[in-house]
Amino acid sequence: MKKVQSIRIENLTKSFGSGDSFVSVIDGASFTVNKGELIALVAPSGAGKTTLLMMIGCVVDPTSGQIWLGEEKVYDNHWLTNNSRQIRREKIGFIFQAHYLIPFLNVIENVTLVPQTNKIPTKEANAHAMELLKYFDIADKAYNKPSQLSGGQNQRVAIARALANNPEIILADEPTAALDTERSISVVKMLKKIAAEQNVAIIMVTHDERMLEYCDRVMKIEAKKIVFE
Amino acid sequence: MINLAQKDISHTLGKFIVTAMGVGMLLGIVLIMIGVYRGMMVDAEKLLKDISVDIWIVQEDTLGPFAESSRIHEDFKDTLKVIEGIDKSEALTFQNLQLYGLDKPVRVTAVGFNPFGSINPINSANLIAGRTLQKSHYEAVISTESGFKLQDKIKIGRNYFTVVGLTKGTVSSGGEPLIYISLKDAQELQFSFSNAIIRNDRERGINASGDIHTVNTVVATVKEGYDVAQIAKKLGMWKHVGVYTNEEQTTILTKNLVERSSKQIGLFTAILVVVSTIIIGLIIYTMTLEKMKEISIMKLIGIPDSIIVKMIVQETLILGFFAFIFGNIFSHLIYEKFPKRVVLEAPDALGLFVVIILASVLASFVGVGKVIHADPTVAIGG
Repeated sequence: MKKVQSIRIENLTKSFGSGDSFVSVIDGASFTVNKGELIALVAPSGAGKTTLLMMIGCVVDPTSGQIWLGEEKVYDNHWLTNNSRQIRREKIGFIFQAHYLIPFLNVIENVTLVPQTNKIPTKEANAHAMELLKYFDIADKAYNKPSQLSGGQNQRVAIARALANNPEIILADEPTAALDTERSISVVKMLKKIAAEQNVAIIMVTHDERMLEYCDRVMKIEAKKIVFE
Repeated sequence: MINLAQKDISHTLGKFIVTAMGVGMLLGIVLIMIGVYRGMMVDAEKLLKDISVDIWIVQEDTLGPFAESSRIHEDFKDTLKVIEGIDKSEALTFQNLQLYGLDKPVRVTAVGFNPFGSINPINSANLIAGRTLQKSHYEAVISTESGFKLQDKIKIGRNYFTVVGLTKGTVSSGGEPLIYISLKDAQELQFSFSNAIIRNDRERGINASGDIHTVNTVVATVKEGYDVAQIAKKLGMWKHVGVYTNEEQTTILTKNLVERSSKQIGLFTAILVVVSTIIIGLIIYTMTLEKMKEISIMKLIGIPDSIIVKMIVQETLILGFFAFIFGNIFSHLIYEKFPKRVVLEAPDALGLFVVIILASVLASFVGVGKVIHADPTVAIGG
């Protein structure tokens, strides 16, 4: 099967401060992630995993380099778009360590918030959200508030939210950190399945080496450089 | 599209309602303050409207019985009657009294008039019980606001007066209840001295027996077809008296006497509106701070600022609206408990509503500023 590039990074650098306070976090990162791949991003705390993820997600400004999301070049030493949030809404799904659902919205509203912002009609967005909730076996909780769900259920809702806008890319920042081993394996298997079935590129930050066996590739940050195992 | 403001409010409905009630009480006080001002204006004009005459003759170089001390001879009323165009004329007195006999002393304004004269200052529409004065002495008609009842005996000076009638809502320009007594009784109270004082003054070579045929004002009505201003101008040429039309007397009362008080109330009301705006702003700021995590998440997942700002502004407007409703309910519940007249009028409430909506929009800016500057990476602790 032909590999289709979903994320391409060239010579990406990120540094903070200047002079004595100058700190380089990422130096000359270059890599590609293809559609359908689940990539694990592993590095010690403070090595820049989240910063790299947020640069790919158009949240944090890189210092230099190039970024392609799908076919679109979005960064070339400066942002090539003035609406990075539209890119996030349309191309990227985010999953975090905690579920970070909006507490005053119920499950289905949390899942349809981004699609509805993308002008998808409510009926259509709700139908797609229900499909996702059924996929994750939490359709019966569609009208419950996040406070009425368990941690695992909320994390599944968060994954459904990340998928609701049919993204090309999912950026998952330690999605299993708050879960026990059994649930962690279940979530990672789920991500693997999503990557394969939905043809989505997923970068997952993790500290848990037990999860690496379920990933297609393992990417590490070593001495500010990106290396693949 | 999901209405985020509505969802957020219903999530913390109890807290939101209590907050709106708190702000509403403040707005209720604003409405009461406006009502106090309106009440002052109504009170100021009430007595003039009840007396309902065209011309006021007062002591020269004075503004009349309500603004300054005024004394003129009673017989001016007879002189006036021969003037062309004058229909009726009568003498009136006004004086402040403190009445005893109830739990607490009551401050009233006494209006003295001739019960058999052609001008009766008691507006029959205000007479809710008993009758008007029918005797020359020792009868009184008094406002229910004083606390006295029909047939009560009230000691005024050296004599007891029987309450023969009760009026409602009759107050002086200062808001004090009115007591109507006969002109003769009023003159005796105001202008006569006790025997001891007369004797004492005679010893000192002073003739202080006093002219009790003095009144505070003589009022007159003008026949139909005659110009009040022209007649007043003609009478103004007389020596030793001042002449005002009813309009001029109303202006003296509302502009000269009430204006400073109204400015004071106006300033107080403006300060309360500013305080309400600041409080709404602080509440919205706090509500926004409480949602910063959610706002950061929304920004991170790509929700545009316009949608988040809309939520904040809508919440502020809804808070302002409910606070206004609660303020109205609160003011209507308590306004009758105030000792002086409070007049709540719909246009004032409507004006306050517009002000509060504008103030809410202004107050939302603090929350909106917070949203605009919120860092999406805060959501993930980055």
